[in-house]
Amino acid sequence: MYHVAYFFDQLINGITLGATYGLIAIGYTMVYGIIGMINFAHGEIFMIGSFISLVVFLILGLAGGIFLPLAIFLVLVATMVFTAAYGWTLERVAYRQLRGSPRLAALITAIGMSIFLQNYVQLLQGARNKPLPPQITGSIKVIETTNQAGQAYVVSLSYLQMMIIVLTVVLMIVFTYLITRTALGRAQRACEQDRGMAALLGIDVDRTISLTFVIGASLAAVAGLIFMLRYGATDFFVGFLTGIKAFTAAVLGGIGSLPGAMLGGLLIGLIEVLFAGYFNLEYKDVATFSILVLVLIFRPTGLLGKPDIEKV
Amino acid sequence: MAVDRALVRRRGILIELGATALVVFALTISLVGFHIKDVSGGLSLELRYIDVMSAVIIAIIGRGWLILVRHGHYWWVSVTATLTATILIGSLIFGGAIVQKYLPFKAGLLQWLLAIVSAGFAVGSAIRGVRKRNTTPLTAEGLASFAEDTSFMDWVSAQVQRSSVWIGAIIFLFAAVFPFLPGVNLRYLDIGVLVLTYVMLGWGLNIVVGLAGLLDLGYVAFYAVGAYSFALLASPDSPLLQELGWTQGISFWVCMPFAGLMAALAGVALGFPVLRLRGDYLAIVTLGFGEMIRVTLLNFYSLTKGPDGISKIPPPSLLGYSTEARMDENTLENTTEFHTALDIPFDQSHTTILLYFVILIMALATNFFTVRVRKLPVGRAWEALREDEIACRSLGINPTNTKLTAFGIGAMFGGFAGSFFATRQTFVSPESFTFIESAVILAIVVLGGFGSQIGVVVASFLLIGLPEMFRELQEYRMLFFGGSMVLVMLWRPAGLLAHREPTIRLYDGKCAGKAEAAAR
Amino acid sequence: MTDQVIPYRTDNAPLLTVEHLTMRFGGLVAIDDLSFQASDEEITAIIGPNGAGKTTVFNCLTGFYKPSVGRLTLEREGRPPACLERMEGFRIARDAQVARTFQNIRLFPKMTLLENVVVAQHNKLMKASGYTVRGLFGLGYGKEEKKAVDMACYWLEQINLVDRADDYSDSLPYGDQRRLEIARAMCTEPVLLCLDEPAAGLNPRESSELNDLLTFLKDEHRIGILLIEHDMSVVMKISDHIIVLDYGKKISDGDPDFVRNDPSVIRAYLGEEDRPAVVGDDGGRHD
Repeated sequence: MYHVAYFFDQLINGITLGATYGLIAIGYTMVYGIIGMINFAHGEIFMIGSFISLVVFLILGLAGGIFLPLAIFLVLVATMVFTAAYGWTLERVAYRQLRGSPRLAALITAIGMSIFLQNYVQLLQGARNKPLPPQITGSIKVIETTNQAGQAYVVSLSYLQMMIIVLTVVLMIVFTYLITRTALGRAQRACEQDRGMAALLGIDVDRTISLTFVIGASLAAVAGLIFMLRYGATDFFVGFLTGIKAFTAAVLGGIGSLPGAMLGGLLIGLIEVLFAGYFNLEYKDVATFSILVLVLIFRPTGLLGKPDIEKV
Repeated sequence: MAVDRALVRRRGILIELGATALVVFALTISLVGFHIKDVSGGLSLELRYIDVMSAVIIAIIGRGWLILVRHGHYWWVSVTATLTATILIGSLIFGGAIVQKYLPFKAGLLQWLLAIVSAGFAVGSAIRGVRKRNTTPLTAEGLASFAEDTSFMDWVSAQVQRSSVWIGAIIFLFAAVFPFLPGVNLRYLDIGVLVLTYVMLGWGLNIVVGLAGLLDLGYVAFYAVGAYSFALLASPDSPLLQELGWTQGISFWVCMPFAGLMAALAGVALGFPVLRLRGDYLAIVTLGFGEMIRVTLLNFYSLTKGPDGISKIPPPSLLGYSTEARMDENTLENTTEFHTALDIPFDQSHTTILLYFVILIMALATNFFTVRVRKLPVGRAWEALREDEIACRSLGINPTNTKLTAFGIGAMFGGFAGSFFATRQTFVSPESFTFIESAVILAIVVLGGFGSQIGVVVASFLLIGLPEMFRELQEYRMLFFGGSMVLVMLWRPAGLLAHREPTIRLYDGKCAGKAEAAAR
Repeated sequence: MTDQVIPYRTDNAPLLTVEHLTMRFGGLVAIDDLSFQASDEEITAIIGPNGAGKTTVFNCLTGFYKPSVGRLTLEREGRPPACLERMEGFRIARDAQVARTFQNIRLFPKMTLLENVVVAQHNKLMKASGYTVRGLFGLGYGKEEKKAVDMACYWLEQINLVDRADDYSDSLPYGDQRRLEIARAMCTEPVLLCLDEPAAGLNPRESSELNDLLTFLKDEHRIGILLIEHDMSVVMKISDHIIVLDYGKKISDGDPDFVRNDPSVIRAYLGEEDRPAVVGDDGGRHD
């Protein structure tokens, strides 16, 4: 019974962590799909999202006494909007000129942007870790059992975890609707297939790509908010590792594939938590990196990606 | 109709200015406008509305100038920008003067930056005014259109490359006498050692990135392998030597080649499975490797002593003579001190001077290798692979092996530099080998220009030497690194001083010109 | 369709034998059970409508794709036959001496013409430089490099570009780039040269120069040439042997006269209706 309980505990943790990765991974995969570049600075957008959510929380805290769900909703909207501004600017300032240039030039630019944003936030907000007291408290007990030592072991599902899962699922549904059923989604998919042709057919390619960055950044902002609530702290460096893991998720799911990004995020979250829970906490990042390397070597198309035939 | 058009244009300009202001406001209000402060018992917010306002105003002025330039009002821009630059610089120079009081910001560096940008606007628009050209280099599009007109930078790069023998000789002579110049104290000597370390790392990475076109984001991994291999053999503190029961480390001159070899082996071992990957995937995988090695160093306590690191790494000896002061009778039993052998008074700087010349020679060896190898078939094959891998395969070049040699050799030089780092610091720990370190080396290569040897020297001096000399720049160093990487990629994607000279010529330089002319 | 094919007869020794070559991409069959032979000192052309699988045949031959089924054997005098289907791409070029050019030219654009043709002699020069070790110290490498440059110059002279040897290859006009690619392939000293649409985008004068060059390669350097081409004026004039593909299947195989009048070829090119027009009829006019 204890083992089942422990596993269940890990499972919930993995799923909530995976939700974060999945939300960020969508940004990577969408940008890769549409302009074929690895937006290395996307992790920094996530980091900025976490900072902005912290700022909004603090503002609301100063305002005081707002009904909690309303407060969360306000934070969510504000974070998405202001982070999206960063996503939009990133594309406009740094990437637009590089469309069609070699992949490595685009990647180096993105790395430069990533370093720039990291230090921008560090200079503005300081290098110290910024803690936020838990905002959503309370939980429901799921399983009560005893561990090997005979102590009580309670597995509970906190309201925070429930909120994260519900929020992610709702966002994913909205997002899927956006991509598969709306004119914007059609334009986006058309640009993915052939940008030149899409432009000839009257699609505003610049606007579509900008919107892709805006959507990706808003989802990363939500991930930043979730991160802030889950860990209760952020600093200027969180984007780096989380970004790489989310990129791993996108690669595992098959880069360019949206359901793949969600699946990959979930899997990476689960793998990380289960590896830490059952094998070795210290090497959990090595486990994720190994997955990245192995997937790229043996199955570069990932789980759900389209095969990429070498054209001669 | 003409009136209408002017109205529409004016409205368009207003919308453009408004949109700029709005975007800058949205960007700055969240992170610039609110400063999260640590106070006892939690966090609080400090409102920095003045900074936001200045950012918005600066953005509007800048955009306004751009619009004016676009519409051909070069002289307006030139005059106002000159005025602004004068006010900014004037207030900087005459510190407490009247102007300073009315400026909304105090940060000196920002003010310098704005002054430089204004001056740039002034000069740029004046030039355009004279030449009646309708391009602005200060937006992304302008930058690209400016890049098309790179004849000037191309010319500079080509001249630098062609006269590299002279420039190289001058730099070398300067570097050789630098420690003995009057006014060079220990601090400058230390900075010189540091800059040369990065020059060597840059040259090493240039083999991989510049020649073979493989973007290695985990170069620091090989630096780390070199440093740790060296530390494990050279330090009496090393868990490996303690396990073997040795009380004394092995000599620098034995350990260094070994460290290079270990790094090269690591390069080959890591490179073999991944070198068939496409460029950007390869980059990410090497980044993963870099982090994996760092995490392993951090947690493999029995070998690396984890976060505690390995200390007591001795500096190199010169022909068996130690330049260190005798501190521990036990470990330095059999060594003679350098200063007693030469019968000169002991000086603390002897060790640093020795280190300086060691790294100078190591860096020159790297340079010699790179220059030489470019003219050999393997170097040409690296460059060909960078240009077109598929064509290379059709010519019978083994892409995996060729890339592997580049990767391994680059790693080897990284390992040499790592062993030098260990002996200089006398201490290694995993925190010296983060991704940031890889990014710094990459920034040097990118800024200097892929494949440009002199570019790496210039970039190391700019990116490492200057911030070391002016401590107040230190804080902005990484911001500048990131920003300059982006700007260089937008402006000159091949790097600032990138220019490729042919590795072999049929006609000597002058005749080639004639042949070109004849062919046209 | 395939059953009525009459094998092409020649006195030259067989160089390349393709047996039952099949290439599938997922559900798509790009080449279906293709067999043919190309002989030494002959120009063998592979023609067919767009999407017939011609380039795929080349990619299988030169190791870019692994064929799903089939045997590709290269026979050379005094050497054991090479099984191309089992070899990696670069080995096919290095050990089996099969060189190729590409439909969309693949030069090294930022390298000079001379460097392009010297890189092609990589393996020879690697050995000469003692796998870099000796070369680093300049021991005995200079002489070999000089020989390589002489050979490079010879080929640059053959394509009339020796004057521009020190120019970057991306500064060349299109037609010259095509010829440079052929010169570069010849520098690998091949026994079989595979040319993928060498006349595409050439003007009539350039394509007649190309004809001369190919005939020269065949007669003077005694190599076999495998040629994919749409330009019938080139194909009909210089080929000794033509293979026609349609939807990955061989529909005709013979000398130019035979193929020109083969009803199945006419059907493939012009549709089912039997019309008096013949394939390569513009080639005929050029004669």
